[in-house]
Amino acid sequence: MLLFAVIGPGIITGNVDNDATGITGYALAGSQFGYDLLWLLVVTAICLVAIQSMVARMGTVTGKGLSDLIRERFGVAPTLWVMIFLFFANAATTVAEFAGIAGASQLLFGNAARFVAIPIAAVLVWFVVLRGSFRVVERVLLLLTLVYLGYIVSAVLAHPKWGDVIHHTVVPTFHFTPAYILIFITIVGTTITPWMAFFQQSNVADKGLHPDDLKYERIDTAAGIVMLNVVAFFIIVATGATVFAAHVHVDPSDPSAFSKIALALKPLAGQYAEQLFAIGLLNASLMAASVLPLSTTYAITEAFGLERGIDKSFGEAPVFLTIYTTMIVIGAGIAMFPSAPLVLITNLPNVINGMMLPLLLPLLIVLANDKRIMGRYANSPLFNVFSGVVLVFLTVVTLAFLASIFFPGLFSGH
Amino acid sequence: MIFLSDFISAEVVDVRQHRVGRVRDLVVVMAEPFPRVTGIILKGNRKVRSLDWSVVRSWDNKELSLKVDEASLQPHTRTDSELWLSRQILDKQIVDMDGRRVVRVNDLQLSQVEGTMLLVGVDIGARGLARRVGLEGVGRRLAAVLGRDWPQKLISWEAVDPVKSDVSSVKLRIAHTKLAKLHPADIADIVNELSPEDRNAVFAALDDEKAADTLEEIDEPQMQASILERLDVERASDILEAMAPDEVADLLADMPRERAQLLLQKMEEDEAENVEELLAYREDTAGGLMTTEYVAVLHTLTAAEAIDRLRQLEPDAESVYYVYVVDGEEHLLGVLSLRDLIVAKPETKIRDFMIKNVISVRVDAGPREVAEVTSKYNLLAVPVVDQHNRIQGIVTVDDVMERVMPARAGGRRRRIF
Repeated sequence: MLLFAVIGPGIITGNVDNDATGITGYALAGSQFGYDLLWLLVVTAICLVAIQSMVARMGTVTGKGLSDLIRERFGVAPTLWVMIFLFFANAATTVAEFAGIAGASQLLFGNAARFVAIPIAAVLVWFVVLRGSFRVVERVLLLLTLVYLGYIVSAVLAHPKWGDVIHHTVVPTFHFTPAYILIFITIVGTTITPWMAFFQQSNVADKGLHPDDLKYERIDTAAGIVMLNVVAFFIIVATGATVFAAHVHVDPSDPSAFSKIALALKPLAGQYAEQLFAIGLLNASLMAASVLPLSTTYAITEAFGLERGIDKSFGEAPVFLTIYTTMIVIGAGIAMFPSAPLVLITNLPNVINGMMLPLLLPLLIVLANDKRIMGRYANSPLFNVFSGVVLVFLTVVTLAFLASIFFPGLFSGH
Repeated sequence: MIFLSDFISAEVVDVRQHRVGRVRDLVVVMAEPFPRVTGIILKGNRKVRSLDWSVVRSWDNKELSLKVDEASLQPHTRTDSELWLSRQILDKQIVDMDGRRVVRVNDLQLSQVEGTMLLVGVDIGARGLARRVGLEGVGRRLAAVLGRDWPQKLISWEAVDPVKSDVSSVKLRIAHTKLAKLHPADIADIVNELSPEDRNAVFAALDDEKAADTLEEIDEPQMQASILERLDVERASDILEAMAPDEVADLLADMPRERAQLLLQKMEEDEAENVEELLAYREDTAGGLMTTEYVAVLHTLTAAEAIDRLRQLEPDAESVYYVYVVDGEEHLLGVLSLRDLIVAKPETKIRDFMIKNVISVRVDAGPREVAEVTSKYNLLAVPVVDQHNRIQGIVTVDDVMERVMPARAGGRRRRIF
C-alpha cells in the first residue's frame, strides 16, 4: 500500500521521457543502423540512474524543488542562467512535441490535419492542466503508454535474430559517420534531459515524502528508467528487424519518414501500422506537451519566489500564467508553420538539452554533497566517482556534438 | 538606500589603503525591532576571516575603509544569536506577515541609525533581483524611457518571519513568535508552501491548541500525516488530543498502521477510544464523517439541570449547536437548541418541550444523503444513529460540505503534480 503511494514520480518521469523526440529518435536509430545503437541504451540508463536518483534523494530529504535548492545555494546570477537555459530548452522541446502532434495527425487524417490538430491540442493542454486536473491527465496518458507494448509484440513477431540483438546490446558498435554521430547524440539528448531532473524533484517534493521512504523512491526511480529503456529497446529492435532489415532508406528530412518508420509495427498491426504508430506518437507528444510547460513554469516561479499554483487567477499569479501560456503558444505557433523545418525543430531541443546537462550536473553534484542541505544523506564518495564518470561522458558527447556543428567535415572521414 | 548587495564583494582596505580582502557576508545580532550589524566576514589571501563592524570607518562605491591597519585586526566576537545575512537569509524563503504568504528574499535593506547599521527591510521585488545581477540601472533607464517608475518592493523586517529552520532555531528564541499570532487558516496556507523541515519548525513554535487548529485547516491527509510523522510521538499525540476526534480518525487512517497505533496508545484513554470508534467506520459513510463530540442529556432532566450539565461538560463551540435528548440507553428521543433551553422555565422537564421528530441519518448513509438532509432541513449538524436508533455521533455541515463539494470550491490549494 505504501509502496503504491510512493511509486509515481520516477515512473511518470520515465514515461513522459518517451516523448515525440524519443519515439522518433529510437525509431530512426533502428531504421538507419539496425541494432548498432542498442548498447547506447545501457549507457544512457546508467547516466539516468546517476542523475535521477540524485534528484529523487534531494527531493525526499529536503522537500524542496531543484530550482529552490539552486537558488538558495548558488544565488541569483547562476539561477538566472539555469532558468534561461531551462526555458529555451523546454520551449524548444515543446515545439517538438507539437510537431509530433502535427505528424501524428497527418498520418491519421491527411496533410491538412495539422492546422486543426495543433490548435485543439494547445487549447486542450492549456485548459485541462490548468482548469482540470493534472492527476487525471497523468493517469489517462500513463494508461495509454500501454500502446508501446505494441512494439514489444511487433518486435517478437518480426522474428529478429536474438543472438544479434543481445550481441549489440552488450558490445558497443561505433561508426565514425555524420549520420551515426547525429543519431548517437540525438538519443543521448532525448533520453537524458534537464527537465526530467526538475520535474522528478518537484514531483517528489510535492508528495512530502519522508527520508524513511527513500528505499521506495529508489525502486520507483529505477522502475521508471527500466520502463523507459525497455520501450526504447523494443522500438529499436522492431524497426531494426523490419525497416532496416528490408533495406528501406529513411531520410529524417524527408516528410515520408514517419510512415516509413511506422512499418516497424506492421508485424503486429498489418495495414493499420501507420495508425498505431500515430496513436503512440500522439500520446507521447500530448503527455510531454502537458508536462513540459507546467514543470518549467513551476521551476522558474519557484526560483524567484513568485506566486504559483494551477488554481490561481491571472491577478494572483500573473508571471506563472504568462510563462505557462507563452510556452504553449510558442510550441503550437512554431509547429503550425507549414514550411517549418521539422528536422531542425526536433533536433534543436537535443542541442540545447545536451549543452545544458554538463552545466547542470555539476550543480547537482555540489548540492547533493552539501552536508548542510543533505545531512547524512549526502553523496557517498563512491557515488561521486560514479556521477563524475557520467559527467565526463556527457561532456565529451556534448563537445563532440558542438564540434560536429562547427566543423561539419570532422566526422565524415574525408 | 543601502542594500546588502552593495556590500557583498566590496573591497576592504585598511587605514594605510592596503587591500585586506573582499566582503563575503555581514553578521547581525538579533535585536528588537531591528537586527544590528556587528561583523563582517571577508575573504582575502585565500582565507576567510571575520572582523568587527566597529572598525569600519566608511564605505562607498564598493569599497569599505577601516579605521585601523591590517596587523591590528581582531576577529569579531561571536554570539549565539547571530545570523549570517548572505548565507542564512538571502535567497531563502520568508513569511510576509502582512501579505500572509511565503516570499523569497532578493536583497536586504540596511539603514544607518546613529552610528549603527541596522537590518530594516527585505526586498522581494524584481528590482532586487536586477540589482543582484547588476542590471538595476538598465532596468531603471528602460522604465524611464517608458515613462514609468520602477518601484521597490520592500517589506519591513518587523513584518517578516524567517522560515529557514536553522535561522528560527530555538537557540535564537525568536522562533515564529509573529507567525504564531496569525489565524490557523493563514498559518495553514503558509505551511503549505514550505518544505517539510521548515513546516515542522513552524509547528514547534505553536502551542498544542493552535497546532491542532492549523493541522485541521491543512486538511490534506497526506500532508497532515507527513507533518505528524516528523514530530516526536509525545508532541504528536498532544496535538491529536486537541483536535476533533473525526479529524484525528481521518488522519490516522492515512498513516502507516504501526505509527497510528503508537499515537493512539500515547493519547489520553477516552480521546483514543473516541477515535478508535470512528476508525471502525468506512470513510465514505456518515459514520466516517461524524465526530463523537456532541452534547446529549437525559430526557428526565429539567431545563435547569440540563444547563448545569452543559456547564459540567464544557462542550466545544462547534458541538453545541444542538443539545440531543436521549434515554438511559442512548436512544435518540429529541433535540433542543440552546435557545430553547435558556428561554424555558427552569423547572420544566425537557421531554415536555423538546422537538420530538428529530431528523437523523444512519451510520451507513452516504455523504450525499447526509448533505441533502442537512441542506433540506437547514441543519448545522445532523445526528448519526445506529440501527436501534442509538446516537453515535454528529456530522457537522462543514465536514459534509467539504466531502461533497469539488476541491476548488473548498478554497484549498490543489497539488500541481
